[in-house]
Amino acid sequence: MSQSLRPYLQCVRSTLTAALCLSNFASQTSERHNVPEIEAQTSPEVLLNPLVIARNENEKVLIEPSINSVRISIKIKQADEIENILVHKFTRFLTQRAEAFFILRRKPIKGYDISFLITNFHTEEMLKHKLVDFIIQFMEEVDKEISEMKLFLNARARFVAESFLTPFD
Amino acid sequence: MANQTPAVVMDNGTGFSKLGFAGNDSPSFVFPTAIATKGGAAGSGGTGSGRPAVANKPSFLTGGAGPGGHLSTKRGTEDLDFFIGDEAIAAANGPGYGLHYPIRHGQIENWDHMERFWSNSIFKYLRVEPEDHYFLLTEPPLNPPENRENTAEIFFESFNCAGLYIAVQAVLALAASWTSAKVSDRSLTGTVIDSGDGVTHVIPVAEGYVIGSSIKSIPIAGRDITYFVQSLLRDRGEPDSSLKTAQEIKEEYCYVCPDIVKEFSKFDRDRSRFAKHVVSQPGGRQVTVDVGYERFLAPEIFFNPEIYSSDFLTPLPVVVDGVIQSSPIDVRRGLYKNIVLSGGSTLYKDFGRRLQRDIKHLVDARIRASEVRSGGAKSGGLEVQVITHKRQRHGPWFGGSLLGQTPEFRSYCHTKAEYQEYGPGIVRRFALLGGPGGS
Amino acid sequence: MLLLDYQNVLIESILKERLFGAPPASIDQTVSDFDGVIFHISTPETKTKILVSIQIRCFRDLVKYGAEQVLQREYGPYVVAPETGYDFSVQVDLENLPEEKEAREELVSKISLLKRNAMAAPFEHAYAEHYKLKEEASKYTSEEAPQGVREGGEIMAIHYRDEEAIYVKASHDRVTVIFSTIFREETDRVFGKVFIQEFVDARRRAIQNAPQVLFRNDPPLELQGVPGVQATEGNEVGYVTFVLFPRHLTPQRMPDVISHIQTFRDYFHYHIKASKAYIHSRMRRRTADFLQVLRRARPENEEKERKTASGRTFKVQA
Repeated sequence: MSQSLRPYLQCVRSTLTAALCLSNFASQTSERHNVPEIEAQTSPEVLLNPLVIARNENEKVLIEPSINSVRISIKIKQADEIENILVHKFTRFLTQRAEAFFILRRKPIKGYDISFLITNFHTEEMLKHKLVDFIIQFMEEVDKEISEMKLFLNARARFVAESFLTPFD
Repeated sequence: MANQTPAVVMDNGTGFSKLGFAGNDSPSFVFPTAIATKGGAAGSGGTGSGRPAVANKPSFLTGGAGPGGHLSTKRGTEDLDFFIGDEAIAAANGPGYGLHYPIRHGQIENWDHMERFWSNSIFKYLRVEPEDHYFLLTEPPLNPPENRENTAEIFFESFNCAGLYIAVQAVLALAASWTSAKVSDRSLTGTVIDSGDGVTHVIPVAEGYVIGSSIKSIPIAGRDITYFVQSLLRDRGEPDSSLKTAQEIKEEYCYVCPDIVKEFSKFDRDRSRFAKHVVSQPGGRQVTVDVGYERFLAPEIFFNPEIYSSDFLTPLPVVVDGVIQSSPIDVRRGLYKNIVLSGGSTLYKDFGRRLQRDIKHLVDARIRASEVRSGGAKSGGLEVQVITHKRQRHGPWFGGSLLGQTPEFRSYCHTKAEYQEYGPGIVRRFALLGGPGGS
Repeated sequence: MLLLDYQNVLIESILKERLFGAPPASIDQTVSDFDGVIFHISTPETKTKILVSIQIRCFRDLVKYGAEQVLQREYGPYVVAPETGYDFSVQVDLENLPEEKEAREELVSKISLLKRNAMAAPFEHAYAEHYKLKEEASKYTSEEAPQGVREGGEIMAIHYRDEEAIYVKASHDRVTVIFSTIFREETDRVFGKVFIQEFVDARRRAIQNAPQVLFRNDPPLELQGVPGVQATEGNEVGYVTFVLFPRHLTPQRMPDVISHIQTFRDYFHYHIKASKAYIHSRMRRRTADFLQVLRRARPENEEKERKTASGRTFKVQA
């Protein structure tokens, strides 16, 4: 793990742990509704200050806490066109299966690649520290996966090119 | 486009895949839905597939080296090293390859294998550029919509196919029966009896929509008939009672009789009914196997299952009748009138005739009983008709071929552009091909 | 599967079956091949006469460069008048076959290579032209060669797909084959770029004797002034140039080189799709891993109340 990654993840971890202090909160604007306030944005008094943790301009996390929900948006490192496409494909593949992921938001917040929405109902039935673990592990592995896929693509391209050209030899 | 490329029709079944182009009367390729991959056979993979080589430990345990290091995986090309169809079975007999069947019970279980199976079907066998062609795929009844979405994801994202239509096999089997002379109106209402190798389904279809709650399956199908023939051969101590011989006898000599007792006495009176089957064994030796009562007894297990099985005892006609009776009352007449056979195990001579007679008996008995109960009211009767036709064996495929060549087929497909606009959810709904308003 | 076959598997298997024993049966199949080629295999008159017809989008281009002579040479006695709607037909009479097994096998493989042979004409033409120019050029030193010899032959364009074409040009020391490629899809374009870069680099790195491969987004100099080639805006269209050197141009190697280079586009697209399939399977695996991590966040199911057979429950004594 490179030197700047550890503090970055540590910072995300502490922030998330602090932000995931959620309680049940019924909507103040519509009766008998209970919606994630961070999504509804109707009662400014229950929204907390959003926070951006950035490792560099390509990798950052936006954490938007509120009284009953937290929205976490991640911008995944994309150094070039290939990584860009791979990240896009991968996040789309994941959001396609959002149903199984409970906390995955189907659409990322603008400017980010993937967003999670954790509500008080999630924290009630799941262990909070494990949810934080999940987010952190996701961030770690997604970078690795993208770079592995890129390596694969280059290796495959080389292999394919050489195989095609060998018969000419 | 000046000249349209023919649509590709693929019917991937549990046992066999039927591939070809719309407009033809038979599939171009029929081979087992099997894939042989490097490495262990099925089961060793543990959860799902054994591949790809993604570290299954969390990253911090494997260090930064990536999955197993790239040198050891030979630059990661093992995913190209596989065979499908007959070649897969041949390869699996040799060392180093394990055989997998990606489809179980009609539904796709292993998407990794299926994706590669399709890729090879398209590029090696059909030899088409998927970007130039529309595809018609089939699915079993009651296929979950998620499976459709996964299929669409593969076809649009991996293969960039021009357009996609996914049809239910039973509906296509109904469409295939339109070639029969007995069918006058091209309706998509009917009961499909689909009997393949592993299982027999009775599927009621109303106006092109499967009545899911009324589907019944029967655990008797082609394989069971083969086993039954084999057991009869063994009992008699024939010189060759291999499964292959049993299958040949089944396919060549079997037929359905109207009455077993009479048929037995007919055989006893007329010795010429006993046939002789010559088997050439490896090594050039030829043995003669007598073929006797199994000629009509084997398919009889559909009508009298007790002669073969001890746990499933309902005859096929009773099942069909039950299925129709459990369907909504307003479609029952149509379901009785159009009972369509599909699949290899419905090809026995007079199978349809016997089935029609038996169902008719059941229906007539019920009508008479209710006439008696009502005290003098007269019923107008009910028409029962079992349709047999020439394309029964590959019914769903042929129905797909028939519909895929119609000029309006393309307008029923979802295109790549639509997929990108709406996402995979778009394939949850398809306009009914060949239905009312269609051709 | 790594390399694509040159022949059509279906035609091969049908003919093989018929030519080696299977009883004659009527056939009527319309099948497709890469690049919008359509074959029609049928038995129109009797079951013993198999007619194989081919429809190729660019047949007119091919005829211009001598396709008819090439096909005549390959299929001589089997050629019949083309079926309506098709460009070229051959007919095999099962009752009138060569006796020897080898000859029959050769016939099968020849007919299954119908597409390849039809497409081969411009390449063979280029080879011939190259030999001629080489001979002429050998009379001069490079400076004093007349204009025509130095510039080489004219460009032959084969519009084998709606939007893509192959251009072949012969000169005294090389034959240049240019594929124009187009990608509709952003992912494919990016993947394609990675692949082509490796084609370009392969010669420098590993296979010194391979043809030189060049890639550019604007039409190469060779194509200037060719009708239908315009400088496109954006980088949708790319041009892949293969430069075949004299070592690839020997008459002995001609058939293989021609077969092989024809498959370039489909090979290239096949592998882009195969790598997408692989990436898909990686993503499936990774998604399953993520789900497992997330599942750990759910606390273990709390111990349910256990009952005895008679319905009594255990109570934890406080």
